[in-house]
Amino acid sequence: MKYIKYLLLLSFLVAADADDMIVIKNGNVFVDGEGFVKKDILVDEGKILLVEDMIGNVGASTIINAQGKYVMPGLIVFSQLGLLEIGALSETNDSSSDIYNAGFDPTSAYNPFSQAVRLNRSKGVTSTVHVPGASGYFRGLLGYTKINDGYKQKKQGPLGLVTRYGQSRNDSRAAELMFMEDLFALVRGRADEKKSYESDNIQFFFGTNNEYKFTKRDFDAISKVLNKEIPLVVEVNKATDILNVIKFGQTQNIDLVLWGAHEAHMVADEIARSGISVVLDPLDNIPGSFDSLNATYENVTRLDDAGVEMAFYYSQGAGSHNAYLAHQSAGNAVAMGLDYNKAIRAITSNPASIFGLVDVGSVAPGYDADLALWDGDPLELMSNVETVLIDGKVEDLSNRYEELTKRYTEDRDKPNSYRSR
Amino acid sequence: MIRKSTLILLAIILFGCTEQSGIFTPEPEGSVTKFSDDTHGTYASTYEPLPSEETVIRNATVFDGNGNKFQNYDVHFANGEIKEVGRDLIVGDITEIDGTGKFVTPGIIDNHSHMGVYPAPGVRTSSDGNEATSPVTAEVWAEHSVWVQDPQYKLALAGGITTFHVLPGSANLFGGRGVTLKNISANTVPEMKFPGAPHSLKMACGENPKRVYSSRGPSTRMGNVAGYRKAWIGAENHRERLERDPSHRDLQNETLVGVLDGEILVHNHCYRADEMATMINIGEEFGYKVSTFHHGVEAYKVADLLADEGVCAALWADWWGFKHEAYDMTIANIAIVDQAREGTGCAIVHSDSASGIQRLNQEAAKALAAGRKAGFDITEGRAMTWITKNPAKSLGILDQTGTLEQGKDADIVIWSGNPFSVYTKAEKVFIDGALAFDKATNFMPYTDFDIGVKEWEDK
Repeated sequence: MKYIKYLLLLSFLVAADADDMIVIKNGNVFVDGEGFVKKDILVDEGKILLVEDMIGNVGASTIINAQGKYVMPGLIVFSQLGLLEIGALSETNDSSSDIYNAGFDPTSAYNPFSQAVRLNRSKGVTSTVHVPGASGYFRGLLGYTKINDGYKQKKQGPLGLVTRYGQSRNDSRAAELMFMEDLFALVRGRADEKKSYESDNIQFFFGTNNEYKFTKRDFDAISKVLNKEIPLVVEVNKATDILNVIKFGQTQNIDLVLWGAHEAHMVADEIARSGISVVLDPLDNIPGSFDSLNATYENVTRLDDAGVEMAFYYSQGAGSHNAYLAHQSAGNAVAMGLDYNKAIRAITSNPASIFGLVDVGSVAPGYDADLALWDGDPLELMSNVETVLIDGKVEDLSNRYEELTKRYTEDRDKPNSYRSR
Repeated sequence: MIRKSTLILLAIILFGCTEQSGIFTPEPEGSVTKFSDDTHGTYASTYEPLPSEETVIRNATVFDGNGNKFQNYDVHFANGEIKEVGRDLIVGDITEIDGTGKFVTPGIIDNHSHMGVYPAPGVRTSSDGNEATSPVTAEVWAEHSVWVQDPQYKLALAGGITTFHVLPGSANLFGGRGVTLKNISANTVPEMKFPGAPHSLKMACGENPKRVYSSRGPSTRMGNVAGYRKAWIGAENHRERLERDPSHRDLQNETLVGVLDGEILVHNHCYRADEMATMINIGEEFGYKVSTFHHGVEAYKVADLLADEGVCAALWADWWGFKHEAYDMTIANIAIVDQAREGTGCAIVHSDSASGIQRLNQEAAKALAAGRKAGFDITEGRAMTWITKNPAKSLGILDQTGTLEQGKDADIVIWSGNPFSVYTKAEKVFIDGALAFDKATNFMPYTDFDIGVKEWEDK
């Protein structure tokens, strides 16, 4: 109790202006290690200042009554939100590149006013990991941004270098592995010899038709992996491929994250022993390729039993546009037998911890106030998001879908084009 | 002179159609149309139900598929048929299943699937869903592509799917005939075919055909429409020729004439509202009716028109943004279509996805939530019709399945809880009264593909 009072006092002293503070009262708040518990939250200057059983009158300008509501960290999704407006229109797609591959970072293309961003924000998403889709050997660098309204977003990254391994290319997977070894040796060797890329104006071409081009920018990204600044994120599904990737990681002394990982459950112990995290969709149960013959709903529970840390995305239709449906994936994971709190963490704090994101993904003092208030269980299909805070600011949740709904349900006596807008 | 005689002929054809065809006359309330399955010829269904036991499910929450939700109800079925649905049913010494705490629904029906024609694993050599060699391929039949060993059927079965409609893809203006299948693994396609189900004809609007055929045409939406109309004129000519020469064969026109004769139901991939209206106009011009628009992301914009015309709309709960014609989405789409004209709309939740088909109940839940948020007073019982009764109606099989009514096929799902919850699983699935899936005992079909290939089996 004393501690609380001290903190409260401290909060007054620290707060530049108590008028800007927000208190969220009486909500069921998701607290790491505890699950949903009755708590009050004090938010100031974009940060969570306190999460306590009771926060009294601190002169906050805004008090949000969360009685009966569920307050959880905003979802951190993996998507092309803000990079891709309409899938089939390449002119609206900034998530891919032909010029760069490993060095391709799509972050600067982010459009905060994308309709997909607005929709996802209204559905409880507060930030996204940008998933790049370069056409070359590597897909590019993972970025990260908040998805608040307006021109300014807090960004972090790069978080990882994405590549794929397995049947996705035409060459033998054995040759793919050799190529990776050779490529990494090349980059390592140049670094050892302190060769300057600038003076070389270097470009390397690989592949039967020279389809894989590497420039200085691409080599720099690979160096980040070799220096363990960022992990190599490998899209891989087949169990034997996963073992090869793990071995490759150990030989190269680099950090790894597995992505997709349909057959990961078959080598769950090896993944756990290597301390590697997995990003996946629990709903991927179709033997959709010869690399995924053993895809199963039990992937998640079996990985969890082995002690593997996981983050979830949703990939069952409409892609990034419905990235918020990660909550449906998480709910289904619970239906498969995963612990409820672990499922919540897989869409909030785990993406943060796996990729080293700072101060996001948890409701705890010191964290960014990225919060979503739900009117029911956040993993349920019929629950709604009522309020979203990003960096302590109550966000505008209006979006085109709600506006179109209104237009076609209200004012119906007027001609279409003169209805509400 | 030629023109004049054609017009007269057209008038005769239109009139003839109106006379003979069930789907052109409004149905009296409560009646169910029985469709002809004469178009199947030597390819007719040879389906035989699995062995079954007379069974009663006791004390469950029952969605009857007709819009109702009953508490503490029993469901009694025997010889593959539903005998009675009610409270405290008196039955003989038969198998009893305790339904306490469980929910019972009709078997779930997906009226848009490509299982079998785009099977798993998805490899080029078994990618058999689009005969993308000509914009008009009304002559191909999806059932002649279906791979009976597709491992995806049982995944759908675990999601409560008892019937699904396999369509050709949407590359072509006329993609070919679709087929309705019982979700029973068999070694030949006719053994899976839903007995008595009419054939369908897949048509496609918009971006897909004009993209696929951009170099040879059609390359525009107006080109698409000209393509439909030309083909229907060809069908009229064929029908005229048949009067003189009854033995003449023309595969493409046999399908199209089947539509004009009301024996084959039109299932029309069409996203945009204005295009749906145009397709209705084309139906009026040639004297056929669209059974169902599929993927209509903009269906809510013409919800009243669809209700007035008695056309169903098979929709996703929330897919959008992958194409320009899928940009104007609302998650309330299904609810708005359902509620049009005092609730006379025919809304269907479809999957078009081997993943989505495993959770049509969840897709319906999201659509229901969005409908309520938009201000509609929609019951769970009503939302259940979106994945049971309405798809059955759309496929012309409502006289046999889609609701829990006496005399209908005992296609039944027992759920672990409320099917609108993310945590609920299908526990038992009956098809024609026979247990086809039982989660508790890991009883489920295995196609030959599943044998030996996998190192791991679900349990």
